[in-house]
Amino acid sequence: MATQSQYSWRRDKDGLGVWEHRGKVAVAGVGHSPVDRRWDGVSMDQTLGAYTILACQRAMQEAGVTLDQVDGIICCQSHIAGASGGSASQWAPRPYFAPPYDSEWGLTLINAEWLIKQMQFPNIRYAPDNVPTISEMVGLAAQAVGDGLCHTCLVIYPTGNLEGRYRRGGENADDYARGARQWTVPWGNHGGNDFINIFPHNQYCLKYGGTHDDLAPFVVNQHRNGLLTPWGFNATHDIPQLTIEDYVSSRYILNPLRLWDCDRPVNASAAYLFTTAERARDMQQPPVYVLNHAQHNFRQRTTQPDLDEIEMWTDRAARRMYEGAGLGPQDVDIFNPYDGYATMTQFFLEAFQWHGVKRGEAFAFYAGDIRVEGPHPFCSSGGNLGNGRTRTAMYTDSIEQLRGTAGARQVTVRAETALAAFTTPSSGGWIMFGKHPS
Amino acid sequence: MARLISFDIDGTLEVGDPPGYITMEMVRRAKELGYIIGSCSDRTVSNQQRIWMAHDISVAFTVLKHQLPLVKAEFSAEQYYHIGDTNIDQHYAERAGFAFLYPDTSVDHLWFPH
Repeated sequence: MATQSQYSWRRDKDGLGVWEHRGKVAVAGVGHSPVDRRWDGVSMDQTLGAYTILACQRAMQEAGVTLDQVDGIICCQSHIAGASGGSASQWAPRPYFAPPYDSEWGLTLINAEWLIKQMQFPNIRYAPDNVPTISEMVGLAAQAVGDGLCHTCLVIYPTGNLEGRYRRGGENADDYARGARQWTVPWGNHGGNDFINIFPHNQYCLKYGGTHDDLAPFVVNQHRNGLLTPWGFNATHDIPQLTIEDYVSSRYILNPLRLWDCDRPVNASAAYLFTTAERARDMQQPPVYVLNHAQHNFRQRTTQPDLDEIEMWTDRAARRMYEGAGLGPQDVDIFNPYDGYATMTQFFLEAFQWHGVKRGEAFAFYAGDIRVEGPHPFCSSGGNLGNGRTRTAMYTDSIEQLRGTAGARQVTVRAETALAAFTTPSSGGWIMFGKHPS
Repeated sequence: MARLISFDIDGTLEVGDPPGYITMEMVRRAKELGYIIGSCSDRTVSNQQRIWMAHDISVAFTVLKHQLPLVKAEFSAEQYYHIGDTNIDQHYAERAGFAFLYPDTSVDHLWFPH
């Protein structure tokens, strides 16, 4: 199989200019599995592996592509809960099942090797190992297709969840925060994750005005958009629409981070078919072209990122995306930044200056009309908050909006370009899509 | 004076996600025995109310997990119990002065006639 240096595909530097494959790569198929809260441990047709196969089949079916036409597989083989996943991320020490579920592969982890074997892809020539998360995988796929390493590539992002404690394994299960962890994760993993979001968020409120609960309209709108997403967790599990009152009365996870600021882990899988623009035009769906991709992994100057750093990081990520696409803020129609914690999304909104929103203006923007049918259809996907922790709604919605197939979520404004990301301010990646190749 | 039972939902009631030990029949029986009953969950209040309505059970209260002090303030009871499956349940229960019980056979004694 073709191999590629682990990092040679990245566009992770400032000043790279317009992407050389702008408009020459396209997404031709999307597939989602059902989204469950967790795997029940007994239904073998609902394992992470079964769901991943289903997502791949749906993506290929949507594109009109057969197994033999796929020559690239990019599959995230790390658990969404991370190395410290806890009992929610590992089946062992329980006994495994008959093949192909005789190990963690297929139950809690998926990799290209397992998938190729189970689906019997005959012509794979590009299937890199140790791929990053979806924020970067989509860029890797775009670059790989553009560079000719493969011409029809499935990008698969499984997000597994079992019953049990999430991200409470390994060091996070310790009663003590040892060594440097006392500064970075004083209360275990979520203490660290949340701290990253809370400290800068509080600084934001002090600097620009407003309170944490000014996020309420945004979170409520994410839930609204999630209920308009037919495959999402909220829509398929009869989750009632969240109200402002529900939000402001919910308990604190880490003051002022509230319950509904946090996404809900789920068990699901999604697949995207990337191909050349030429091939895409002969497939069943209108092509959605890739205009640029970029990654970032900014070095922290201290153990606790602050507002200045986060604003600087997101500004740089925005400049990279606009430069690489040859576009500017006024050119972005659909904007789907990450919302894993509601407190981080505003930093992306302001950095990219979507619909003219500048630093310090996010809360006022949220208080306006951000519905999908309105003039400022922010996060039309509903993100993770509205669909469960799949990290894929942002990409799917962007593609659907540009195709004109977003159904009840279809925006009424122009929909010719889209920016999407699962990313944190410090590390991850963005992708820009276009309805037209140029 | 009556005793009060607060039920968590997910992981505690059979209708929760995941399903728990406490059946809706047990909930009905608790009411018949004279307990003041209600739910205390991270589900929204409207969601909790919908569950009770769907099972035709009238409850005295539906509150969020951190609002047990409100329940204690509103209802005078001889004893306050909260049944829940996580350490979060235990934390909020004990902070509000409720006896915390895990939803398994250890709670069966509450259903013995008293």
